Amino acid sequence: MSFQRFIFRRTLMVLPLLIGVVFITFMLVRIGGLDPVGRLAGPTATQAEFDMIRDNLGLDQPLWQQFGIYLGNVVQGDLGESWLSNRPVITDIKERAMVSLELLFWGVGLGALIGIPVGLRAAFRPNGKFDQVTRVLSLLGFSIPTYWLALVMIFVFFYLLGWAPPAIGRMSLLVTPPDAITGSYLIDGLLTANWQAAHSAASHLIMPVICLAIVSAAPIIKQTRAIAIEVLSSDTVRYAHACGLPERQVRKLVLRNSAVPVLTFVGTEVTGLVGTMSLIEYVFAWGGLGQYGLNAIISGDFTAVQGYVLVLALFSVMVFIVIDIVVHLIEPRSELN
Amino acid sequence: MTLLVVEDLHTHFISRDIDNRTRVAKALNGVSFSLDAGRILGIVGETGAGKSLTAQSVVGLLRPPAKVVAGSVKFEGRELTDMPQAELNKIRGAEIAMVVQNPRTSLDPLTRVGDQLVRLHQIHSRGSQADSRKRALEMMEAVGIPDPESRAKSWPHELSGGMAQRVLLAMSLMNAPKLLIADEPTTGLDVTVQAQILDLLRDLVARFNMATMIITHDLGVVAHFCDDIAVMFGGSIVETGPVAEVFAAPLHPYTRNLISATPERFQMGGAKALGGQPPDLFNLPPGCALQSRCAFATDTCRNPVPNIEVTPGHFALCHYAGKLDAEPAIEVRA
Amino acid sequence: MTDATPDTVAPDKAFVAERSRSSQIWNRFIGIVRLSPTAAVGLFIIGVFAVLAVLAPWIMPHDPVAAYTDRVLQAPSAEHWFGTDGNGMDVFSRVIYGARFGFGIAIPAVLLSLVIGVPVGLIAGYRGGMLDEVLMRFFDGLRVFPSIILALAVVAATGQSLINVVLVLGLLDAPVFARVVRAEVLALRSSNFVESAVAAGNPTWRILFVHLLPNAIQGAMAQTAVRAAWAVRISATLAFLGVGIQAPTPEWGAMIRQGAEFMVSGQWWVALYPGLALILMVFGLNLFGDGLRDLMDPRRRTAS
Repeated sequence: MSFQRFIFRRTLMVLPLLIGVVFITFMLVRIGGLDPVGRLAGPTATQAEFDMIRDNLGLDQPLWQQFGIYLGNVVQGDLGESWLSNRPVITDIKERAMVSLELLFWGVGLGALIGIPVGLRAAFRPNGKFDQVTRVLSLLGFSIPTYWLALVMIFVFFYLLGWAPPAIGRMSLLVTPPDAITGSYLIDGLLTANWQAAHSAASHLIMPVICLAIVSAAPIIKQTRAIAIEVLSSDTVRYAHACGLPERQVRKLVLRNSAVPVLTFVGTEVTGLVGTMSLIEYVFAWGGLGQYGLNAIISGDFTAVQGYVLVLALFSVMVFIVIDIVVHLIEPRSELN
Repeated sequence: MTLLVVEDLHTHFISRDIDNRTRVAKALNGVSFSLDAGRILGIVGETGAGKSLTAQSVVGLLRPPAKVVAGSVKFEGRELTDMPQAELNKIRGAEIAMVVQNPRTSLDPLTRVGDQLVRLHQIHSRGSQADSRKRALEMMEAVGIPDPESRAKSWPHELSGGMAQRVLLAMSLMNAPKLLIADEPTTGLDVTVQAQILDLLRDLVARFNMATMIITHDLGVVAHFCDDIAVMFGGSIVETGPVAEVFAAPLHPYTRNLISATPERFQMGGAKALGGQPPDLFNLPPGCALQSRCAFATDTCRNPVPNIEVTPGHFALCHYAGKLDAEPAIEVRA
Repeated sequence: MTDATPDTVAPDKAFVAERSRSSQIWNRFIGIVRLSPTAAVGLFIIGVFAVLAVLAPWIMPHDPVAAYTDRVLQAPSAEHWFGTDGNGMDVFSRVIYGARFGFGIAIPAVLLSLVIGVPVGLIAGYRGGMLDEVLMRFFDGLRVFPSIILALAVVAATGQSLINVVLVLGLLDAPVFARVVRAEVLALRSSNFVESAVAAGNPTWRILFVHLLPNAIQGAMAQTAVRAAWAVRISATLAFLGVGIQAPTPEWGAMIRQGAEFMVSGQWWVALYPGLALILMVFGLNLFGDGLRDLMDPRRRTAS
């Protein structure tokens, strides 16, 4: 099957999912029956003002009509206006997307970098000392609340040891941010040779990244181990042993045969990790999409909430699709090759 | 020339159950046989009799909780049971080669077929890549794979069952093995393909003078392609000898029943129904494992069973070996 | 775990010593612990918290909501083992009392998930067809949203009470059980005993609940502890964000929220101890759930 046809088929399959996602997001803010207008209008609004706002937002129309309008808007990139910031939600999101992406990338990247080798090593000697310790530690990682970990890290590394900068965002207030090329202070700082900015950005990144890495590593370790153990008991590995393949080569074999399931798993984990990342942003006042979204939810800014949740969901879908494509490219058994 | 001597091999599965009791499944109980160059031994038995386990025990491929607890396996005089895995790896895939079931899932799905052959050769020899590639093509030809050059570029999942099995045979030949173990090499294949593969196998054995062991549950395979036969039951070899003799005059009650049960020209009749449960390896009775199912069983059968050589080379593990036709059946057991 | 299993075992004797009743029980206990030490340790931890939760009013040295305004933010001392918080309340007593919230939320939430999820899974798996398709697509759609955000958004939108938290968590977790049960039902649907039950003319509801349920529920049961762990975590997270449970309720998440601002000024005890308690309880539940899965696995891990 040609690549174009493959992409076309995949897009067709994902379309209903996308519409469903938009629908769920749409219903999410209307679930409570709490009038979404209340906040927007402010405490001193009169009935007439309520009605005007409601009319503006089209909230008096039947639900399915509202949804149609919303869907239409979304497709055109219009996510409404945030009452907190009085700006289009899409603008708020665009500004912050890169910030969160940076944190997510480093955090999950580090988590996978640690987690996958550890999981593999545990699988090669199941029930050995390393494996038992690893299992306990990974279960512990499942049990630690991220925000608490963040707080403890701030206490230890900032308050007690003074190694880390205060948790008030991505960069010290005393340093000017670099010119925005990518939106990442670190990368932009490096690109524009603004070493001070780059250094400040890096030092502020360390703690949230480590936090996210610890929490990401736990499920990755567990699942990598499970996958590797499955592969180790597969016909392929048994036959490899029967052929006298030396231990090192058997490990390479296991690694290669585990790659696709592990990759797929990490892709599905990203969905949940985006939520965790939002909590980390909240504690570190990171100024990214997560902090924006959490604040929006807490203060009832329903258009912003809609936008935030929608973007998160769409991001997840995109991750799934990308991984799906990558898997199909590297797997000889796929219909592409 | 005798290449493999297995003596009194005992393999047990040792584990603890939920009541903290040690549970031992005695899967192999004193298995002994030998393999000579150029001769094919067929090992038959029902599921759970210990056939595959014998092969695994011989080459050291047992996984916990299975363990060889007693006995010796000598390959060309070298003792294999206490050899470390690193050394066994040098022998496996080279001097001792294995052909397994499920060829399509046993091959590495992420490597092209030709590359796997080359890899196997490279592990065990010092030749160049070019040499290995040449040999790979030669072996593919030897096993009857048409157009080896382009086949070598295939992925395992693109092969049919029969073709994949041929590839496994080619793999086994890459390093000129002296001993070949084929574990259910034709199970799951088309009947016509089965015959082809077995013919091919017999050809290769003659050509390369390999000592060969075929494990199967199919008596027909043994009858047509093997020189010697060993019948297994309950972890022991209950009868062994040249194929023609054993089929013409089976000595052990189990073998007699087995042969009469097959829709072959080896109908013997006379043996009573021997259906029943497979033996419980955790609780084997003292003496003969077949007691509860055997129509000829007496109290004597509770004693350790002798391995009697009734005619030269033809052994049976039974108190009444050679005397069954003289003794009337005691009772018919359901 | 490899200590006392012998390499070889003496041949069976005709006479096997019968174990006394108490020895049998002890050996069954050891057997379970050997097979899955994680389950045993997990259960122990849960047990400790359960005891704390039940006996809280008698164990607590102070009233959890009694504010000693003269002793605000005191470091841990003999009088206040875990110190006092910003309102002068004893942290130790509040931590102990918080165990009640852990169980009080997790148990009803998981029960709700089971009550909703299991029948849905049974019906979807058995009936198949349109209903199954739609349901599964819907669940797949949900999976794309981070569960924390989903829970947060819904609780925030529907009103901030304890009942709501339980309801929302129960609903959000139901798909997990539904999926597990459905998978089992799909596998069992074409098995012999189901087919004979159908042939015998049993009405559908009987087949579902009398025949399929006992078998299909295994997988769901193994999940309960892990889902309970999740419920405890998420409810604490919600409380931390100020949604669902408010101060001065002695719930661990709310306590961490309170303590957050003091972490940067050095009063670490306000947020640390509730966090530790939270970790321990969730860890215990996770351990138990993990061990339970091992125990129920047909390819049982044998200690050899």
